[in-house]
Amino acid sequence: MAREMVAPFHETQAWAEPETERREALMVSGLSKVFGSEQVLDDVSFSIAEGESLVLLGHSGSGKSTTLRLIAGLETPDGGEISLSGRPIENLRARERNVGVIFQNYALFPRMTVAENIGFGLRIRGVRKKKRKEVVDRLLALTGLEDQRDKHPSQISGGQQQRVAIARALAYEPELLLFDESFSALDPQTRVGLRREIRALLRKLKIPALFITHDQEEAMELGDQIAILNRGRLEQVGTPDEVYNNPQTEFVATFLGAANVVEGCWRDGFIALNCEQCLAAPRPSPHQTMEQVKMVFRPEDITLGAPTGLVETPYHLGRGEVVDVSFAGATESLKVKLQPRGYIGKLAPSQCGAAADQPCDLVIKVVRTKWDARRLRLAPGDKVSVGLRSYKILRG
Amino acid sequence: MMPLVILPLASIFIYGFTKGPTHFWEALISPAAISSLKLSLTTSSVTTACNVVFGLIAAWVMSKYEFKGSSALMIIISLPTAIPTAVAGFALLLLWGRSGLLGQFLEHTDYQIMFTTAAIILANIFVTFPLAFGVIKPALDNLDTSYEDAAETMGASRWQTFRFVVLPSLRGAIITGALLTFARSIGEFGSTIMVSGNLAMKTQTAPLYIYAKFTEGDVEGANAIAAVLAVISFAIFSLILFTRKRLER
Repeated sequence: MAREMVAPFHETQAWAEPETERREALMVSGLSKVFGSEQVLDDVSFSIAEGESLVLLGHSGSGKSTTLRLIAGLETPDGGEISLSGRPIENLRARERNVGVIFQNYALFPRMTVAENIGFGLRIRGVRKKKRKEVVDRLLALTGLEDQRDKHPSQISGGQQQRVAIARALAYEPELLLFDESFSALDPQTRVGLRREIRALLRKLKIPALFITHDQEEAMELGDQIAILNRGRLEQVGTPDEVYNNPQTEFVATFLGAANVVEGCWRDGFIALNCEQCLAAPRPSPHQTMEQVKMVFRPEDITLGAPTGLVETPYHLGRGEVVDVSFAGATESLKVKLQPRGYIGKLAPSQCGAAADQPCDLVIKVVRTKWDARRLRLAPGDKVSVGLRSYKILRG
Repeated sequence: MMPLVILPLASIFIYGFTKGPTHFWEALISPAAISSLKLSLTTSSVTTACNVVFGLIAAWVMSKYEFKGSSALMIIISLPTAIPTAVAGFALLLLWGRSGLLGQFLEHTDYQIMFTTAAIILANIFVTFPLAFGVIKPALDNLDTSYEDAAETMGASRWQTFRFVVLPSLRGAIITGALLTFARSIGEFGSTIMVSGNLAMKTQTAPLYIYAKFTEGDVEGANAIAAVLAVISFAIFSLILFTRKRLER
């Protein structure tokens, strides 16, 4: 698929139409499903705009496969509505929904050739052989599979099988494509390459798509939007940037990349962390004094500096001691134990939070680039000054 | 093991040729003998065709649908193999015979089921039904449902899914089931002798011919057809093994 794309399959216009409003291709609202006594999905709602892709991200058992099967029509929901291009489909049979599904094991019909697999959707719709061949040829070219047209699925590689699965789904011009963890069976290198190709292909054809995965890196690369599912409930929906840098819940914060979640207590414009570090907090704020809060910041939001001075960051967490250092190629991962009542910048310790010589065991994860690591070499036992570039306060 | 299995089979061929190949050949091409072979082949073929179709339908229903009493139904379907064939034949007589449960309604018509070819076929279908079913159902159970799911999401109706996706995958089981049914059916004796009336040239299948000739004292006659049946059975089982191997690639 590195070759030049032939004319797009759908007759799209050569000039771009001005984007008026975000038109919804798929809309899911209040979707619920119970299996036996277990509430597998609880009030899930999201939408996918035309030409957009959304990734459903979550652990196994979080309900993402169930959601896909409900949208495809392979299961019936216990509650909620699904509409595609404006028409409600939750009561339609799978074969009436005009949706394309790429299964985890691709489900290519083993006794048919690649070309026959791709043409299947047209064959059962009564399309004549000649027209079928035209469409199949076009799709084979689009997915770079011309040399495989007469082979059987068992004779081609995993990456090629997935391309056949996609071509097969595209043949009958579905209004939505559903990918059921379809990259999980591939080796990492093929996976990354194929992801990019598919992304480019979907953009070109402007078909909305829903991906399911438990791999957060994959989610961030594949989706225009990411929806995070946790035990059947939707935790947050947003762009990869929104979801990564502005997590609404602790689950979202810790699921997407590493995160430091610290509890503290709000005191008149400051957050007193459990180790008596204080953070100047943005004003005004919705929080009440003495209210418990949880704050989150990412390992890369921390800057470390020499212990005798303040790092040039908006916030500070006082001083700490390096507990662990590990080399990870482009980055360096460290664990730093914050010292109680360390240097807090302009604030005197007594101005902040309660008393005592509490033993402090707040260890935070820090990530530095290779160059920062070279500028200030650190080993376990070294003292550092800890600066914080940004943080978020989680609800609940 | 060898003496138990090989010797009886060998003796058919050894004895058959003791009086020379001409005698063997003459016994073989006698009209009654040929007629019995033809009848056996015909009834077995019809039985096989019917039971493969019935087996497919039954396997599909049992496999795809869950309903109360399905396990009881499974047992009932497998019963014919447990019943002694003479009992099966007798039961059919009771049902279809002149004063039988259903047969009495046919008394006044020109139709008579017992002592005709139809009777032989009915008896065979009953006795061999579990065979094709027993091979097709496990194969159906083992089929990955993702293929059917894929076909359905692509817009295929239930029939189209069955025809293009399920049936080709069942090819091996269908062929094996058909061969098993045919082999069993061609050798069926107990139920056939009860319902057919054993009329030479009319309702006398090959196994019945062997029995008739032997009781008459015409051992050569019996021997010739016995040899043919043995060869046919041997050929069928070789086919079964061969097909199984080929389809396992």
